[in-house]
Amino acid sequence: MLTKLKHLLLKIIDLTALGFLEPIVRLCYGEEPGTQVKKIGQFMMVPVLVFLLFIMVWSAFAPRHKTKSGEVPTPAVTFDSYRSIMTFHGREGDKERAYLATGDAREKWLAEAEARLEELKPLRAEAEAAVEEAEAAHQGALTATYDPALAEYNEARQAAMEESKQRIAKLKVRAEGIAADDSAAKGELLAVYRAHTAQTANAKSDYQKLKQQADAILKAKFPQLAAARARLTRIAEEEQYLKQLVKMLSGGNREARVADGQTKLDALRAQYAGAEGAALFPLAKSINSAESRLARTAESAYAKPWTLPMQIIRSVYCVFVGFFMGSVIAIPIGVLCGLSRTFMAAMTPFIALFKPVSPIVWLPIFLIVIGGFFPDPDKHWFFTTLWNAPLIGWLKINPAFLASAATVAMCSLWATMVNTALGVASVDKDHINVARVLRLGFWPRLFKIVLPSALPLVFAGLRISLGVGWMVLIAAELLASSEGLGKFVWDQFNNGASDSFAKMVVVVFVVGIIGLLLDRIMIVFQRAVSFEGSVATV
Amino acid sequence: MNKRYVEIVNLVKAYPNPVGDPIRVVDGFNLNIAEGEVIGVIGHSGCGKSTVLTMTAGLNEITNGNIVVDGKEIDGPGPDRAVVFQAPCLLPWMTAAQNVMLGVKRVYPHATKRQRKDIVAYYLSLVGLADAMDKRPREMSGGMQQRVGIARAIALKPKMLLLDEPFGRLDSLTRMDLQDVILDILDREKLTTMVITHDVDEAIYMSDRICMMTNGPRARVGQVLDIPFERPRDRKAVLAHDLYYDLRGCLIDFLEKFEKKKHTDQAEEIAAPRSAKEPPISTRGDVSARDATLTNPLTLAVVSPMA
Repeated sequence: MLTKLKHLLLKIIDLTALGFLEPIVRLCYGEEPGTQVKKIGQFMMVPVLVFLLFIMVWSAFAPRHKTKSGEVPTPAVTFDSYRSIMTFHGREGDKERAYLATGDAREKWLAEAEARLEELKPLRAEAEAAVEEAEAAHQGALTATYDPALAEYNEARQAAMEESKQRIAKLKVRAEGIAADDSAAKGELLAVYRAHTAQTANAKSDYQKLKQQADAILKAKFPQLAAARARLTRIAEEEQYLKQLVKMLSGGNREARVADGQTKLDALRAQYAGAEGAALFPLAKSINSAESRLARTAESAYAKPWTLPMQIIRSVYCVFVGFFMGSVIAIPIGVLCGLSRTFMAAMTPFIALFKPVSPIVWLPIFLIVIGGFFPDPDKHWFFTTLWNAPLIGWLKINPAFLASAATVAMCSLWATMVNTALGVASVDKDHINVARVLRLGFWPRLFKIVLPSALPLVFAGLRISLGVGWMVLIAAELLASSEGLGKFVWDQFNNGASDSFAKMVVVVFVVGIIGLLLDRIMIVFQRAVSFEGSVATV
Repeated sequence: MNKRYVEIVNLVKAYPNPVGDPIRVVDGFNLNIAEGEVIGVIGHSGCGKSTVLTMTAGLNEITNGNIVVDGKEIDGPGPDRAVVFQAPCLLPWMTAAQNVMLGVKRVYPHATKRQRKDIVAYYLSLVGLADAMDKRPREMSGGMQQRVGIARAIALKPKMLLLDEPFGRLDSLTRMDLQDVILDILDREKLTTMVITHDVDEAIYMSDRICMMTNGPRARVGQVLDIPFERPRDRKAVLAHDLYYDLRGCLIDFLEKFEKKKHTDQAEEIAAPRSAKEPPISTRGDVSARDATLTNPLTLAVVSPMA
């Protein structure tokens, strides 16, 4: 039983190409512990240590480079902004749920939120006091260091300017005493003036240094103050969120708004029942508009902003749509290329011509082409159907999404096409002989012999395609302003908030990890279709 | 019984030679095979045995002459001439049963699924693989894979079975097993068979007649030897038979004669360039094959140095 489990685990590890886990499984079964420990050290500890080293180097060097968008974020700052991204996501989700909450649940939640808001009040006051105190301390520290430094600078500057003035006065006096034909004295005067300007410049650079020193003191971090401010910001943000939540749970809640609308409508109806003559027409008009407003309110949803996790899902969805479109085109063409040299010859110019074209060129073209199909996308049945579809409705698939997906398809299909052609063209001669002896027809030969034999290479191609597609997608989204990871980065770049830089670094890791996962998935597929002796074994 | 079930008449295989006359690997090969007969073809490696077989299978184009099987001249490959190659040539993404099924579907297009399955099971059990039907080639030993190859060939119900050194890559014990498996099937199905080998003992044990080929290029039938042993054959009885060593001596004499000839004719050999498609003559291999046979007279299945 246990041995079976072990074999199963080892098989899974082999299939998923996670070879570094193998020694752990073997160690659990007490198999050659020495060798396994050595292997763990080699294949797990070494990478972990190197990664830690990387984090340390990053932490050490990041703060040294100052940019217009602040310092390069350290790992700690990056992790903090990851957390703030996730907090934002969680809070927006809460607000959405709050908007839709009904009945007792709403009441209860409202009470909780209000209680928490009360709790925050003293905390906020405390945090504000702490900030004030830190500011005072900072100010005190500044007066102790900055003020003397500034005074020193001012003094030096004053002195230098004074000296300069005196020299000029002397020069002027000297100039007055020089006759028109006294060229030696004229030359001397010029030399003295040159010496004077050099002296002034030297003195200036001296007192500028003092100024820089003073500025450095002013700019120097005051960790106590930064921490106090950060705490206050956190509390203020939570307060802000709770206030919005309370609004969503009370007056702004859908149920509440519907009830409100209903009472207004009822009042109007009662009025209408009692009225007569000319008063009826305006009343009928308002009843009608109140009714339609009520219907709209009952259907309405919280206008939730895009959060990073939502953008990640949309990006992944987009890359798969593009990857699927690309594969659907690439595999059949690749098979035909592999089967027929003539077809291959026909396709070669296209492959050679279009393969090197950058996604940046394809995207605007696709935006225009796809835009041509949907002159008014908001009302087009294709998009309205997708927006109302379950599960994918919230992705708000739009022409920009389709253009990004098409760009992914266009850029990623080449690897699959070329690999499929190669796989189909290089079927083992023995296997072809089997087909010949059996006189298999075209379709059985294709599906029983050629395709299974080409599959490992096809999947090797698909794996490359998906990797390329993922890289292309981020750029495409950025250009197309299609909601997703690329758009997130672009928004942060344009936003210029204090944590924008750190958020971009978070995206680097998110993109990397997702790319890694996609690659792993493709490896599993590729392994599953590989056979002994197939060309593309991972 | 049809004495001329298979007729090979004046068979020629020539490869184009850019610097001279085409190279005739096989030239004027004549052979008649009776229905149900097992004919062994023996000769030095590179003499063109396999060329004759692949031409008979239709996998190799015939330059001149013709091959008639059961009154019909062959035209390309077909399931009426099943081949078992030296390598098992199974499709690695299919189980044993699926590999056999591929042919069965082709040959029994009107059978129901159930019937086809039974046919596959029958032939796999015939080669002793009733328990390994759902195994994939990589889970099987070389011997088992070759058994599947045999089952796949026999399941086609061919008019003729072509065996191209089917045991060349197997160890001697497995080889003996498989010789018996094939002989059993041949006795049962009465298939007309051509078996290519360079193992003298295997040739005697399996064949009704042995066709000895002269050395290539321009290889042809040198001599045909009748093997008068009864069927079904028993290995011990064959080995103990008075005639056994005479037959064996006759075969070895023939092969040795050509071995010597090859050495004396070396000048001529070099003058005529060899086609790239034919493996070069390996003198060392043949000598050691003979030596092994001579030094182990009691071993029927000799490990070929080619294995």
